[in-house]
Amino acid sequence: MRMWTYVVRRLLLIIPIILGVMTITFVLVSAVPLTERFTAYLGVPPRGQSYAKTLAPGQGVCPANATQNCSNPYYHYALNKLGLNQGVWVQWGLWMYNSLTFNWGHVGNQSAVTYTYPEAKAQAVTTVLGWFLPYTLELAALSLAIIMAIGIPLGNLSAVYRNRPVDQASRVMSFSGFALPTFLLGSLVLAAVLIGLGSINGYHSFFCSTGTTFQDFTGSWPQPYCYAAPDPSNFGYPSWLTAGYISHPTGFPTVDALIHGQWWLAFDTVLRMILPALIIAYGTIALLLRFVRNSMLEVMNLDFVRTARAKGVPERTVVRRHAGRNSLNVTVTVLGLTFASFVGGFPVIELLFNLHGVGQLLAYSVITPIDIGLVFGTTLLFTFLVVGANLIVDVLYAYLDPRVRLG
Amino acid sequence: MSTPPDVYESSTGAPSFRQRMAPRIAQTKRTWYFLRRNGLAMAGLIILILIAAVAVYALTTPLSYEYMTEYCATNGASCPFPPSVCTYPQGTVPPGPGCYETPANFPSVIAPTWASFTQPGPLPLGSLTVDPPIQYFYNTYDGLLRGSDWSLLISLTIVGAGATIGLFLGAVSGYMGGVVDEGLMRLVDIFLSIPQLLFVIVVVTVLITLLPSSGTDFASHIYLLIGGFLVTWWPFYARLVRGQVLVVREQKYVEAARASGAGRGRIILRHIVPNSVYPVFIQMSLDVGTIPIIIGTIVFLGIRIFPSTYLPEWGTIAALSVADLSAFWDSCQIATCVIPWWQLLFPGLALFLFAISVNFLADGLRDALDPRLRR
Repeated sequence: MRMWTYVVRRLLLIIPIILGVMTITFVLVSAVPLTERFTAYLGVPPRGQSYAKTLAPGQGVCPANATQNCSNPYYHYALNKLGLNQGVWVQWGLWMYNSLTFNWGHVGNQSAVTYTYPEAKAQAVTTVLGWFLPYTLELAALSLAIIMAIGIPLGNLSAVYRNRPVDQASRVMSFSGFALPTFLLGSLVLAAVLIGLGSINGYHSFFCSTGTTFQDFTGSWPQPYCYAAPDPSNFGYPSWLTAGYISHPTGFPTVDALIHGQWWLAFDTVLRMILPALIIAYGTIALLLRFVRNSMLEVMNLDFVRTARAKGVPERTVVRRHAGRNSLNVTVTVLGLTFASFVGGFPVIELLFNLHGVGQLLAYSVITPIDIGLVFGTTLLFTFLVVGANLIVDVLYAYLDPRVRLG
Repeated sequence: MSTPPDVYESSTGAPSFRQRMAPRIAQTKRTWYFLRRNGLAMAGLIILILIAAVAVYALTTPLSYEYMTEYCATNGASCPFPPSVCTYPQGTVPPGPGCYETPANFPSVIAPTWASFTQPGPLPLGSLTVDPPIQYFYNTYDGLLRGSDWSLLISLTIVGAGATIGLFLGAVSGYMGGVVDEGLMRLVDIFLSIPQLLFVIVVVTVLITLLPSSGTDFASHIYLLIGGFLVTWWPFYARLVRGQVLVVREQKYVEAARASGAGRGRIILRHIVPNSVYPVFIQMSLDVGTIPIIIGTIVFLGIRIFPSTYLPEWGTIAALSVADLSAFWDSCQIATCVIPWWQLLFPGLALFLFAISVNFLADGLRDALDPRLRR
């Protein structure tokens, strides 16, 4: 099979998964009370209207002298618009159509999201997700880089020095990463940093000498008073950084800072990402570490490695070139799994460190009153990310190992 | 004349119970031999036994309160909850014996002292200050003690039920093959492509909207939590078991059973399931440690699972004890701040020890049961 045939076949396999995930969200959304669904998928009701099923006398179109509650025409309009007065198959079809055409509903007007980010009020969910996604992607890329930079060498080491102190230490490290919940580890690290650096009387960022120590370690960007050319009409941020959480033109914070020639801001953004990325990496590195170790152990027992040793190839070269290269194939497949597992840690870590990403958006939208459009929007988005990551990993694996695409 | 039953039994060659069990017993002894030589696994086992002992102690000790008790300070202006604790701000005269000192600025922060730990009193491990500006707090010791059995029970229920569903579906799927297998595995693919933690969070969030905001009992919330977990938990087990069954069903003894006329159900239940159950045990023991962590994450994100948030469960307590700390750090100057170390330490340590001991034990079991990994 040619490479592109494999890619097309792999792409076709994604279709049922995406349809299935959307069906699961359909089942879940059907359980949500009607008023919240109307707000999420039709937007905030226009002035003078409400989504209540009945109207009390004197309210809206109901005359003041009515003897009993009137039926609300706007309620029936909304019901009709979402197809909720029709059969379940019609509802399902509409839901699938809307999901596939990225009509994912609207942000409500009273949730914690709109309290924190007023600009998001009544906006389309996809628009709001577009503001916050680039930051999450940068954080994910950094975490993945840290996991690979530590996990692969350490996994190889613990296979070479099997059951020696290095192996035991990496084992304990990976298990403690599993056992320490992200919220606890994050709080401990934050507390340790604040106490440790705050007690030597006010650590401050190299770039900005006002504000508290807490503000120097949390938030995606520095406080507004740190900027050289603040824009008073934009809460003190530069005009390309709208309200402190939407950057222009690309949306990727470091890229945008570099585009606008503020290298210090790009550097500070990465600095602020390092602690969260390390915490996420610590929680999920165990997976990669164990897989690399075990696949390395298997490869080390194969005949060609023994042949290399018998030929007199130095042990260093055997480990690096013969065994290391061959165990790398397995490593690539685990990266997809790792991505899926650390995505779950994003809501907590972004909430804790006040980072403007999709995870924080999800964390705010699940607090009562929940923002149903955002809850399902972020879930679909994260699922697409994971499915996409697995696709890339599989294609990469097929590229590295011809047996996959030929066999 | 009737023949004595034991003679009759032996004449047909049916093995006795002891004979039938001999290979299983030998296998267990072998596993125990390898497990005993693994230091980390034994450490995990000892910690787990200690935790179980605490849970049994908590179950058998009659406590006057059902859940983590809300306390409030008696020197405050008003005390909305009946259980109260005598407190006094630092630098003032204690109102009487057995009163707790609080920092002058933070009347709801009670640190554990050596005296409070050794002498009988309501707050041996200090208080869990949930909402710093308000003058009430929660008893860490009671919460952790009560929480030990709750944590174990909830995790075991979820994992046990999820594994049973997964085991059954995986065995059927692997053994039947064909359309059933294809359909079930595509369903599993769909479920597994949603990140698990997010899936649990979303399912619990949606299920909570079904309950009226007040007036529901505690049990229905627990059932809801368990149900929410189960929806997301079975697919992983189904895939695990299916992979194992595909290997087991080609074995000679399954063929022999089929040749001697055993039915499909009998082969699945008596031959395939018992022989593909070991990886499930290992995964189960890992998951038992994960569930309190996930519950803690849900609570940390601010999802109100329980009518009163204060379910005495270790994940919940650990989450509550750090949930408000960010605001606390932000509002107080570090130099003059009281650092609630006991709040960070005790609930987190309990959760951590539980999860890591389970992990060590599972890893040791995997090594002991898999000859290729044996050291």
